[in-house]
Amino acid sequence: VARQRVLITGISRFWGCELAMRLEADPSVEQIVGVDVREPSRDLARTDFVRADIRHSLIGKLVRSLGIDTVVHTNLIVDPRRTTPRVAHETNVIGTMNLLAACSGADSPVRKLVVKSSTAIYGAEPDDPSFWTEDMKRRTPPRDAFSRDIVEVESYVRDFSLRQRDCTVTTLRFSNVLGPMLTTPFQALFTLPAVPSVLGFDPRLQFLHEEDAIEVLYRASVEDHPGVFNVTGPGIVILSQAIKLMGKLNAPVIPPYGGAIATAVLRRFGVLDWPSHLLQLIQYGRVVDIAKLRDEFGYTPRYSSRETVEDFAAKSRVRGLLQEQNRYTYEKDLEEFLQRKGARRSTDVESVPVP
Amino acid sequence: VTSFTELPEAQPAPHAGNGRGAAQVVDEVVSGPRARGAGADLRRRLRALQAATESELRRRGAVALPEQTRRRLPRIPANLRGVAEARERTRAVRNALSGLSDVQQGDALRGALSALGRIPRAARIPRVPDRERLQQELPMQLMGALGQLAITLRNLTGRDVIDLESLQDLMSIGFRAMELRSKHRRGEWNFDDYGFETDYADVWVPLARMVYRRYWRVEANGVRNVPRRGGALLVSNHAGVLPFDGVMIEIAILEHGLDRHGRALIADWFFGMPMLSWFLRRTGQTLGHPGDTHRLLSSGELVLVFPEGIKGTGKLWRERYRLRRFGRGGFVESAIRAQVPIVPVSVVGSEEIYPMFTDVRPLARLTGFPYFPLTPTWPWLGPLGLIPLPSKWRIEFHPPIRTDELPPESADDPSVVMRVADEVRDVIQEGVVRNLMQRRGAFRG
Repeated sequence: VARQRVLITGISRFWGCELAMRLEADPSVEQIVGVDVREPSRDLARTDFVRADIRHSLIGKLVRSLGIDTVVHTNLIVDPRRTTPRVAHETNVIGTMNLLAACSGADSPVRKLVVKSSTAIYGAEPDDPSFWTEDMKRRTPPRDAFSRDIVEVESYVRDFSLRQRDCTVTTLRFSNVLGPMLTTPFQALFTLPAVPSVLGFDPRLQFLHEEDAIEVLYRASVEDHPGVFNVTGPGIVILSQAIKLMGKLNAPVIPPYGGAIATAVLRRFGVLDWPSHLLQLIQYGRVVDIAKLRDEFGYTPRYSSRETVEDFAAKSRVRGLLQEQNRYTYEKDLEEFLQRKGARRSTDVESVPVP
Repeated sequence: VTSFTELPEAQPAPHAGNGRGAAQVVDEVVSGPRARGAGADLRRRLRALQAATESELRRRGAVALPEQTRRRLPRIPANLRGVAEARERTRAVRNALSGLSDVQQGDALRGALSALGRIPRAARIPRVPDRERLQQELPMQLMGALGQLAITLRNLTGRDVIDLESLQDLMSIGFRAMELRSKHRRGEWNFDDYGFETDYADVWVPLARMVYRRYWRVEANGVRNVPRRGGALLVSNHAGVLPFDGVMIEIAILEHGLDRHGRALIADWFFGMPMLSWFLRRTGQTLGHPGDTHRLLSSGELVLVFPEGIKGTGKLWRERYRLRRFGRGGFVESAIRAQVPIVPVSVVGSEEIYPMFTDVRPLARLTGFPYFPLTPTWPWLGPLGLIPLPSKWRIEFHPPIRTDELPPESADDPSVVMRVADEVRDVIQEGVVRNLMQRRGAFRG
């Protein structure tokens, strides 16, 4: 079996970095190329970083010249607070379109595409089914730009999978990921001393532990799992329960009607940036079915939704300490020192012990 | 004196008697090897009080007799001997005390107490915070007080002014709610994935049961047709502006010895309403989505559907007990697909709780409600108009229709589905008519 050559988009971000680290430890992966407009946030041992914008057609040349067989698209912005809607749209829709164009064609060496998507695609409405399965479609079209983008991105991916029959396409719909190292909307919400909630609503939510998320991403990259999969921790958490588990106060300050105005006020005073599709989420909730992940993909997340929140609660108590710890043991300085001393050849990076 | 004579678990004082002074004895009790670590401070002090009184009595020659007791207890195992002796000793002291005159009793106790006054407080009894203690004791205290009041009123008037059974039900709501809160504080939540919390539903069951028994005097027949285990689809007619019929059907099942919570499928409109959205979910209701129905039925739940939906509850008074169209037969499809039987249910009495004369469409549109009823009381009496009228209810569970014996493929055959749907509707309509005839009057019985 030929060894894999993997291209990861969004290498500067958490997901790209974490996945690259997992793949570096896997000897069956020959080459890892990370693409982003910014440097990776961590030092990586044998990942080659290429500064490129996925909106540029350069990607196509890169894929063909390196003979990339696996593309992992982690660059989807699922947290709209980080950028303006304009930039999010450019990165998500135009970026994905370009990336898919780069991977398609009869001469394309790409045999596997993994896309990290979000369960936000289902929306959150009062008439939603209690459990979303992958084949269900939301009844009302999305009202905000971000959700529209996600829907559009997935439709491009679906078209691609129909066009490129010999390419295994895996779409992973992650629910709300919680982890001490990660900045997400719910992390911001749960670290407030009093958690704003919608008056008269106490929705069912699900959470995914970051370790499980990375594990699923990794398995999708090295194994073959065609199809769309919901990825979340088993079980549910009620918002008020999650707030209690976090040891916070429940503050039902958002009125059930006209909540957008209340969140605008919260944003104006710098308390919380909570976009409209997330407002619907903490009003009506969203629960997805992971039977397909369990049965077809063959993985059940180790942390249930509740355990994810509990683990997050425990770790956010030592959040400041965790960030100081260097979890990655690759010693860049040491390698440079060894190279200077001529103890090893500079190209021989594969024998560097990686965690 | 009472606290003294009721010493329950007093241990024998190690060196009581022998004519020594009470203070001496007490000192020995406190510093003796058996006193240390013997448990609560209180028990130790009581034990000391007993010993002190005993020797005080002995000093006065009023006889307390440990030697005799030992002889009277020959066949007690060694490890229980101490306890038995202590009991005997307590009895002996009590007898000795009761044999004395009031003045002598007082003297003896005063002597013992003065000796006790010199005992240092060893370990403090951990105090329960007042607020918490009040929370724990209040329901019981209130219950006791109200019970007393009920008895007094009955003695005075000769009839039940306060119904003790209902009172007990009401009190248990508060008690269960408090229990649930402390459970949550301990981190125990028993949600299923639909958001149904059995403990929470159980909080409200007593209230619903009270309404079931006392207010609407529900008579339920044929509950044996509801399977004891395994999935089943209960299909019922729907009426009464607010969907109380679902609650009454669920209580009827609980009242007849089946420990099963029915799960009603309700209109998605409710899940957009504040409060209702989580209350309904937490009490086990979910929305009528085919995916939900199938999932519930195949996991062996008892599912309750109202195929008439909002068209049923929004009927006018003159259209009462005329069943509406049964949706599009989706419930039959679900039952066949999940291979469970359909149990038709006829409810009589629900139509009279809010006699709806007109439906003010513009107001309904304005408020976002599915209909805006005008009843004899609503909206004229304000919130009081929300109180339903005390009609007489009858609920009949019909023999199951064996949709579980149809082949699963027939769920896709509209002719089978519509035929079964019509059959269910006919059974329910007939049942409604029969029960209306059996009922003596809308509000009597």
